[in-house]
Amino acid sequence: MSLLNNYAYYAGAFGLIFIGLYVILTKRNLIKVIVGLGILDTGVNLFLICLGYTSKGTAPIFSRAGLDAELMVDPVPQALVLTAIVIGVAVLALALSLAIRLYQHYGTLDLRKIREQRW
Amino acid sequence: MRSGIAIALLAIVALGIGLALAKVPFGGPKTEVGRHYVDEGVEETGAANIVTSVVVSYRGFDTLGEVTVLFIAATGLGAVLSTGRKNAASEKEPASLVLHTGCRLLFPPILIFGAYIFVHGHLSPGGGFQGGAIIASGFLLIYLGCRERRISRTASGLAESLGGLVFVAIGLLGLAFGSHFLSNFLPRGTVNTLFSGGIIPIIYVAVGFKVGSELAGIIDNLIEEG
Amino acid sequence: MVNPVLLIAVPLGLAFAIPLLALLSKAAARYVPPVASGFNLIISLLLLPEVLHNPAIVSIGGWQPPFCISLVAGPVGVLFAAIIALAGLLVSVYALDYIREGATGKYHMLYLFLLTGATGVVLTGDIFNLFVFFEILCISSYALVAYQGDRSGIESGVKYLIQGAVGSSLLLIGIGLLYGQFGTLNMADLAEKIASVGSMSLFVPMVLLITGLGVEAAIFPLNAWLPDAHSSAPSSVSAILSGVAIEVGLYAVARVVFTVFGASSIFLFLAFLGVLTLLVGEMCAFSQDNIKRMLAYSSIGQIGLILFALAIATTHGVTGGLFQLVSHTLSKALLFLAAGYMIYRAGSMEISALEGMGRKMPLTCFAFTIGAFSLVGLPPFIGFPSKFLVVRAALATQETIFIVLISVALLGTVIEGAYFFRVVQVLYFCGGRHEKSSNTIKKEESDPPAGDAPVTALVPMFVFVALIVIVGVYPRLVTDVLGSAASELLNRLDYIRSVFT
Repeated sequence: MSLLNNYAYYAGAFGLIFIGLYVILTKRNLIKVIVGLGILDTGVNLFLICLGYTSKGTAPIFSRAGLDAELMVDPVPQALVLTAIVIGVAVLALALSLAIRLYQHYGTLDLRKIREQRW
Repeated sequence: MRSGIAIALLAIVALGIGLALAKVPFGGPKTEVGRHYVDEGVEETGAANIVTSVVVSYRGFDTLGEVTVLFIAATGLGAVLSTGRKNAASEKEPASLVLHTGCRLLFPPILIFGAYIFVHGHLSPGGGFQGGAIIASGFLLIYLGCRERRISRTASGLAESLGGLVFVAIGLLGLAFGSHFLSNFLPRGTVNTLFSGGIIPIIYVAVGFKVGSELAGIIDNLIEEG
Repeated sequence: MVNPVLLIAVPLGLAFAIPLLALLSKAAARYVPPVASGFNLIISLLLLPEVLHNPAIVSIGGWQPPFCISLVAGPVGVLFAAIIALAGLLVSVYALDYIREGATGKYHMLYLFLLTGATGVVLTGDIFNLFVFFEILCISSYALVAYQGDRSGIESGVKYLIQGAVGSSLLLIGIGLLYGQFGTLNMADLAEKIASVGSMSLFVPMVLLITGLGVEAAIFPLNAWLPDAHSSAPSSVSAILSGVAIEVGLYAVARVVFTVFGASSIFLFLAFLGVLTLLVGEMCAFSQDNIKRMLAYSSIGQIGLILFALAIATTHGVTGGLFQLVSHTLSKALLFLAAGYMIYRAGSMEISALEGMGRKMPLTCFAFTIGAFSLVGLPPFIGFPSKFLVVRAALATQETIFIVLISVALLGTVIEGAYFFRVVQVLYFCGGRHEKSSNTIKKEESDPPAGDAPVTALVPMFVFVALIVIVGVYPRLVTDVLGSAASELLNRLDYIRSVFT
């Protein structure tokens, strides 16, 4: 039971990662692929946050004096995730702008039809 | 066919990841680095929020890189979208009076809330990026509700550049006064007051302005396209 | 001693300041990248003699490692920073006239950010910081490929972005697994802790990291984006992508494999992968009609050769690999710069449309020919001592497998010679007939300007030519720097010790 409790969080995060990867690999519509990229980013960020958890921990903020440092979670993965979320947003914004221009050029978002660059 | 190959590939990857995850315990004790930050962070940096002191002070270089990435994305988006055809202004229905007035009423409190978040980044959960995102959502509300208002491109461009320059300048000042880039050369102050933490509130204010104007600029570019 | 942080902080500050400068004067933006790269070149050349034997460790924020991010300015880092600055300076001078339409201020900002990201990747000593600067490099290259907004550029940009973003996510998962197991992000600290566990138990994080970094390094089979991206981008962008971006990606792979993991057991696999990449690249290049696509496939081939040389993992092998890398940067950038104006003059990217260009643009075609001969490996150009060093290192290992692999690699070189000589023959020895082909590009004026490329393009090209000839005739000028760099990459213990004292 505790094993399930422990690994449920990892399973959730990696479930999202695999859903995202599956969407990127199999879908034909560019917007769906970009959404899949977003799901992949979310999954990776969830996984990173899971790394920092200590049991019965709370947020590492000393809002009043005398809080116990032992009961605080690891702040480093939270800092990593802050950076990773912003980078993910930046990539998605750029991808969406490219999708807009691609639609203006080709009139379709079907990736199988957008293959002018041949061998 | 293609989904079959994809599932097979992902199953292999899942097996590998499962093997690797067996070595990463969940809920285990903190790492040495994490323990050092939580134990010594308040004295060394003066900020009550340890995550903020990690993001801005201990790993401030990553934050500088992150700010740069957002700037690059906003610039690239502007460059790509500026070469396109602008759609003719489609005649949309103007928003109803209730929506219009409601948006204009909500906009200042949202801005104040966002500013509160990034000014108090070192005291409570929050910080520059979070506050900037809230400010940009206020601008999005205005774009959606009252369509004739737009922020001026030069003002937002100026805010972006100045925010980034202030961050790099503080780093270089730290190099000049403290002999290390991004060292905390201002006095630490007393914990849990507004003016504590040395350079941390200043950096977060700059980042808050920058991120807010950047995301608002991205939204502006995307809405004008279509 | 100059602080190596300036190599990253000053170009970053200047790039942030470009929009402010553009408010004062519209034309000022295009002079900022040459100034910033020139500054970087001077600083890195000043630093290089001092760090040749003792790397300079700079901690950001004044804390002790591993509780801070540290920059490790060793011979490898400063050498790469110098090469990035040199190539960046010359290509930015070329771009003064080449980039004329569209939002030029944004081009120069993105270009300077690309160089800053590349410099950050080679100087950092922290693996998450490597990820952040790697993202700066990748995202600015996605934006630069799609910069012109034409059909092929946007299509290539989208495909590059999706593959690159998936690679970055895999890289981040790998970094997460490493942090979860060892609790640190500093590369030297990780190396120390991994040494006690043994690197083969870390197979999954290593594969994730190599795959994530390998997308940008264009290792087969992760390089599907490269032919489209490098051929659809404007020529100055292709030059900097082929000359700097994929090399820096390969440096990141080498740093992770050699220093962080110390994984001696996968070197043979990497050698196979290198030769496979080489063969695929050269054979595809041979069948191309489009000159920029041919050069892009040739880049894939050269990366395969460099990866093979690095995977030999002896001092001679790594020195040869680094020398080959320098030679590729100089030659490939020169080839793309020359091809840029040849294409502009001919109006088409087909090789057959470049017939007789040797008479119409003599200086540009001469530079192109020098670059081609250098890439193939003819003396007295820089390609010859670098390839010779690689072959000698492979033979010196005395193992049959490496001898077999190097013979296959030499076969690749023969194919390379074949297609480059074909282009040179078309340039000089065919008649002046000019066929219109279907692959014409849109031009602003009705006729391209007569005569050769402008001065701002010829000067960087001939500086490249001069460097190719000088270093080719006197390779001793660079071999001891390369030797120290090779030993820094190979000696993990020295690296760990230098960071922690």
